[in-house]
Amino acid sequence: MTPVKGGYAVDVPVINVSDRARREQASVFSTFKAFGVTFRRMFRSLFKGDMPTISYPEQQRPYSERFRGTHILTVRNDGSLKCVACYMCATICPAECIYIEAGEHPNPEIEKFPQRFDIDMMRCIYCGFCVDACPEEAIVMSREHHQAVYNRSDTIYNIEKLMQRPGIAAKGPGYRPNVPFAEARIFDPATQKECPFPSVVDERHPAVLYESQINKRH
Amino acid sequence: MPKITINDRMYEVEKGKTIIQVADEVGVQIPRYCYHPDIGIEGSCRMCLVEVEKAPKLVPSCATPVADGMVVRTGTARVQQAVRYAMEFLLLHHPIDCPVCDQSGECWLQDYYMAYAQHDSRYPLGEKTRRRKAFDLGPKVKLDQERCILCTRCVRFTKNVTHTNEIQVFNRGHKAEIGIYEDAPLDNPYSMNVVDVCPVGALTSSDFRFKVRAWFLQGTTSVCAGCSTGCNNRVDHSTRAFGGAIPGYTATDGKIYRTVGRRNVEVNKSWLCDEGRLSFHTLERWPRLVSAIVDGRPQDAAVALETAHRRFEAIRQESGDNAVAALGSASNTNEALFLMKKYFKDRVDFRIGGETELYRQLEDDLLRRLDKHPNTQGAIDLGLDGELGGLRGLCEKAEHKEIRAMWISFHPQLVGDDPRESIAGLRRLIAALDFSVVSTTHDFDWARKASILIPMAAWSEEKGTYTNYAGRVQIANRAVMPGGDALPLHVHMSELLKLQNIQVTRNPSEIFEWLGREASIYGSLDYEAIGLLGAVPGKRTADETREVVR
Repeated sequence: MTPVKGGYAVDVPVINVSDRARREQASVFSTFKAFGVTFRRMFRSLFKGDMPTISYPEQQRPYSERFRGTHILTVRNDGSLKCVACYMCATICPAECIYIEAGEHPNPEIEKFPQRFDIDMMRCIYCGFCVDACPEEAIVMSREHHQAVYNRSDTIYNIEKLMQRPGIAAKGPGYRPNVPFAEARIFDPATQKECPFPSVVDERHPAVLYESQINKRH
Repeated sequence: MPKITINDRMYEVEKGKTIIQVADEVGVQIPRYCYHPDIGIEGSCRMCLVEVEKAPKLVPSCATPVADGMVVRTGTARVQQAVRYAMEFLLLHHPIDCPVCDQSGECWLQDYYMAYAQHDSRYPLGEKTRRRKAFDLGPKVKLDQERCILCTRCVRFTKNVTHTNEIQVFNRGHKAEIGIYEDAPLDNPYSMNVVDVCPVGALTSSDFRFKVRAWFLQGTTSVCAGCSTGCNNRVDHSTRAFGGAIPGYTATDGKIYRTVGRRNVEVNKSWLCDEGRLSFHTLERWPRLVSAIVDGRPQDAAVALETAHRRFEAIRQESGDNAVAALGSASNTNEALFLMKKYFKDRVDFRIGGETELYRQLEDDLLRRLDKHPNTQGAIDLGLDGELGGLRGLCEKAEHKEIRAMWISFHPQLVGDDPRESIAGLRRLIAALDFSVVSTTHDFDWARKASILIPMAAWSEEKGTYTNYAGRVQIANRAVMPGGDALPLHVHMSELLKLQNIQVTRNPSEIFEWLGREASIYGSLDYEAIGLLGAVPGKRTADETREVVR
């Protein structure tokens, strides 16, 4: 197939459509020929296991590490919610599906925490902007995307549902920032029975580095 | 009159002004933190430095008075460098907690950093000095010492404006910090103004804190309806419904989150009292009246108005025009009261308490006045303080059957509780009347006794003018929509007048023009002339208008 100046090579196969149409006219022989293809594929998949499909709910394909599925709210090392209710996700959200109500945290170093954090999953378009906007890596996405429910109102996920949905741990997180923070982890119900909420933190938040200094001063 | 040159343009200015005041007047922008026109000059932030010819160093423009022949340059390379250094010092120990900071979005540090500095900090975040965060200065204000830039605006506010001196600078040098004495919390009636004057997130309002981010809010210029001073303010309300279809949270547009003082040198400078600032919460105290109620059953508002009109006409034909009257409210707009006067043929009064006795009396010498109605002077100008004799007189006339039918318009007082005698008087009046229509904003149990209840828009839900105690006419714009079927009173009145075959517009500015033609004192004004800052009708003498708040 050497290209020739001003056109194509001579040995490019030319398909004569009218010839082919005449040859493949519907007839008894072509019917049996088609059966042949069907049975060949059937026996190959039955005995050789050469199968392009999977039995979906039982068997599932692995997803990319950057898959944008249902959101997860991450926790600090003590298991309290990492979100500081800064509304960055609600601001950037193009679908306007995030509703936050902020409250005064008992620890003045953290100051703010979400009393409500609801995501309307029916409205979410899974663009991942909330993950990009979050300054605390408090919201990441999972590789989970099964959201079939019996009731429309169940598609609105609240804090508890966004934190500890069973099945998230098995699949692992999906889309999250490229340089993850060390202490942003996913709530694990096996190691931790209950989540302290509203969270009071003895452990050191990045903002609490110099607590001892403050105590000394006052 | 000295002549000075700013950025190659010559201006003739008043003697004794400082450079920054002149620059503000002529529209030259100079960055500043510590300078505020109403609280005195400090010159501590070094942001307003400008270059003055023949001066050896850059001079702070907020503290330098103008002199004849002065040549000032702003924004030169030398000035920009100085401002950048000033910003770097101010931000040296800033905690950069913008995500949780309430000021973020309207923070001057953010604005000026983007406009003038854009440097990288030489201090790693972990090594910055830590100070006390988020503690109460008083019941309404919280302080975060880490974010404070020591501009001392709050200190000067309590020193020069309220003369209470609660907030002070403690310690010196890099240990200096804003604070209060242990036994003297910041608890004066004007305390929340320090939140307004604070250019950064150091002082935050306990009421507004964390309710909503500043960029979700839209501001509408309005006038406080808490008392007869009529302070200019800005109503910040939500415009965007976020949260998708989350039940109960989609209708977030039309919620008022805060009010902020708007500068008007003639009335309130930049200040609001705390009661007036938080007075919008009063509207949430009772359930709102959302539909008209006729004989105890909800009814369409148009049908209810028609029923009311038919009964009024019938009683007028039976017992003469004098048997029908109306009781307006000193919290209604001039437009509504004027149309009410038209429909009820001058048989309108507005006094339910002692408004006329109270409205010129002071409660303190700064802003607050004893009369808690915004439009007492407007009602007097319309001649509503006539021979009907107020609520007591109306009660007597109703009991003697001189008056058989009445329209009663009732706004709850935004500041403080309504006097019990007034409510008792209204009960007595409704009981004595043959036929009564009550238009009110909330579902009060005493009003349920009336024959017809009409829902009415409250303050900030209607556009109209109020006339304050000094005779200044000011426009309050509509910030949010009233709930349910509620409509402004002037719309109800124009519907009633239409039933009388008088075609009336619903547009408040056109109604005001009509008012100006009839009530000659307002003849010189229209909405354009009133504008953002209000106007005093020309016929008043200068002495009366001079009586403004200091």
